[in-house]
Amino acid sequence: MKNLIKLMFLPILSIALFSYVYVNSIQPKLGLDLQGGISVILTADEETEPELIEQAVEIMRTRIAAFGEVQEPEISISGENSVLVQLPGLTDQEKALEAVGTTGLLTFRPVINSSLQLGYSPALTYSENPDDPDKPLVSAPSGVDELTGLSINDDPSTTSYLLSLSDGFPIIYELGPAGLTGNDIDDALAVFPNNEWIVQLNFKDESADKFTNLTKELASKTGDQRKLAIVLDEQVISAPSIAFDVNPEIGITGGTASITIGNSDQGESANNLAVILRYGALPVSFERSSIQKVSATLGENTLNLGLQAGLIGLIIVSIFLFFYYRLSGLIAILGLASFGALFYSVIALLGEWQGYTLTLAGIAGVIVSIGLTADSYIVIFEKLKDELKIGRSFSFATEKAVKDAWNTILVADFVSIIASVILYLLAVGPIRGFALTLGLATVFDLFYTRIFISTAVPFAGRINDNPRFYFPLTRKDIESV
Amino acid sequence: MFKKLFLGTTEINFKMLGTTFYKIFIVETIIFIAILVASLTGILNMNLSVDFTGGTTYQLDTIYTDDDISDVLTNTILEVSRYQTFENSNTIIFRAVESTQENETQFLNYLANKFEVLPNEIEFQRVGPTFGQDITEKGIRALVIFLSLIALLISFRYEYRYSLIALVALLHDLLLTFSIYVLIGLEITPSTVIALLTILGYSLYDTVILFDKLKDTQKSFKISNLNKDVLNKTFNEVLMRSINTSLTSAIPIISIIVIGNYLGIEGNLADFAIPLLIGIVSGTYSSIFVTVPFLSKIIKT
Repeated sequence: MKNLIKLMFLPILSIALFSYVYVNSIQPKLGLDLQGGISVILTADEETEPELIEQAVEIMRTRIAAFGEVQEPEISISGENSVLVQLPGLTDQEKALEAVGTTGLLTFRPVINSSLQLGYSPALTYSENPDDPDKPLVSAPSGVDELTGLSINDDPSTTSYLLSLSDGFPIIYELGPAGLTGNDIDDALAVFPNNEWIVQLNFKDESADKFTNLTKELASKTGDQRKLAIVLDEQVISAPSIAFDVNPEIGITGGTASITIGNSDQGESANNLAVILRYGALPVSFERSSIQKVSATLGENTLNLGLQAGLIGLIIVSIFLFFYYRLSGLIAILGLASFGALFYSVIALLGEWQGYTLTLAGIAGVIVSIGLTADSYIVIFEKLKDELKIGRSFSFATEKAVKDAWNTILVADFVSIIASVILYLLAVGPIRGFALTLGLATVFDLFYTRIFISTAVPFAGRINDNPRFYFPLTRKDIESV
Repeated sequence: MFKKLFLGTTEINFKMLGTTFYKIFIVETIIFIAILVASLTGILNMNLSVDFTGGTTYQLDTIYTDDDISDVLTNTILEVSRYQTFENSNTIIFRAVESTQENETQFLNYLANKFEVLPNEIEFQRVGPTFGQDITEKGIRALVIFLSLIALLISFRYEYRYSLIALVALLHDLLLTFSIYVLIGLEITPSTVIALLTILGYSLYDTVILFDKLKDTQKSFKISNLNKDVLNKTFNEVLMRSINTSLTSAIPIISIIVIGNYLGIEGNLADFAIPLLIGIVSGTYSSIFVTVPFLSKIIKT
């Protein structure tokens, strides 16, 4: 009775888990290489503190969440100084990537002039061309592109000419040196108090005075020069004017400001601005060390290939085992099927509960583990054969084979587990997926060997003691040794 | 013959075979070292993927002619270093050097126009050389730690000379796989590095099972030292298991290669399967024909 429970435990467990997974239609969460999407590894400098990377990952997550329409983005720290960003099935990938990876230097800079007033870049001066009156000569200050009239390399500490696209048409601003940066911001929030969207901006206590001084200066001016540009990475995101009721003697005090956005787009631009102000700058700068785009069809093909190869492999291995080991082969086939069901369910559940994604390398790990698992059966059956050869009785031989083989399998699986753990701990990205499935499969293999095979083999041994049922050998063959 | 193999009553004298295979092993080692040196000094060309060299790849499915490809190779936008086509599919992969983002986008659009596919259907990949280096460095670190642990484990459970033999068999498998890669000119990708690490597992697994069997036989002979009889008995008996296990391990991997080829999918999974197959075959070979010569050396009687 006790043996029967032991025998049925793993098969029943696997059937139960598989049914649970099937009924709730939980499927393994597929990695990007299997469902298509974009995957980027961002790498920071070697000596970057882990805390800063964690902070950066938090900011990236918020940014991508604020971006919307990304289904289940995955941003995780991988290795010591790398961040793995996976954006599955995204249409506007480049934009999303930009949103995640750029450091985002956020600055506040007084506007000196803009193309709104002049019609062309304030950086360019035109003079009459004596040769061709229709084509005036253009001259630009150093560091400014003569064609576009934009600063080539923006330096926030001097005057620069930067582009804004936030109004739906391009505007080029001439900006003074940065007065405040993203680091001065404490918080920013989009609110809708009086039928109007407002971005409520709070500066840090120590930065409040800086903001007051800056607004004092701006409030004394008129026109474009009353504007304070919010610049993120060489692009003017917004350039609100200082309200007319601000006293130039006092400025805006208390370290808070509100930017009125209006009511044109249900608060979308207000929210975007608030997100930029809040999460504008990452504390670390990253470099893209690897970008991989996988089309959805290629992903699907690969998945099918993996599944088909796995299934066909399993079937051929089963036929092979049945051919060699007959009744015991049947045990092996049942065990492998149960193993497969359990493994699938666990991968699916890990995806559901822990967010584990099955990648191509993971599938490779599974396929490799089929061979290792089948080997446990082979080791036991071969031991059984050895025991029979020395003339042991059938029931004794099965018990002994199971006991002896356990030691061998334990050592061999141990090697495999050590390999998986080391690979998992030391490797990056895809190798980890491989190590995890291989390690998991090996642990399962140990359980199956200890609980299922070691009861099933003596059990089957009781059905018939004619070796022909277990090996392609007759009793005479064995006795002749 | 089959019955004998199955009963483990083949009467191969492994001690004798040992001397022959020792010679083969020496020849192999010389060849491996020659290939290794030749590829490190650049005489033989290692076909490293962009992950190691840095660059960009563009993969697309389309109907094409040879003229199209030579057009692409002589394009003025990007320097295309290599291309790859497949017999049973319409996939083409172009590999180009790294360039500015603008040029790369331009080239992508150029390919899209040329082959009349949508730009977002072209699979684009960019890598700095750091990624491949990173994987290799971490792989080597993992290798060293793993090998030391395994050497300790084997010395502890069997004896220290066994752990040396296991390591020799392992190096043999790695070098054999590497040599075949270099000689055929297969592309070495990060998947290959993972596969090499997996081969380690396989190779050791096989060797450990063998040592275990050796220990068992020693016990049943009630002797503490390895002798000729133990060696021959063990290896004759273990032959069948070795073949069986290699077959069961190789079947799923062969099915990846065959199905992949049939469906016309080449890529990461195939990159992975080919070195694994080589490694498994080599592992089976080395677990018997590399360990035996060295075990014979230990034998006194």
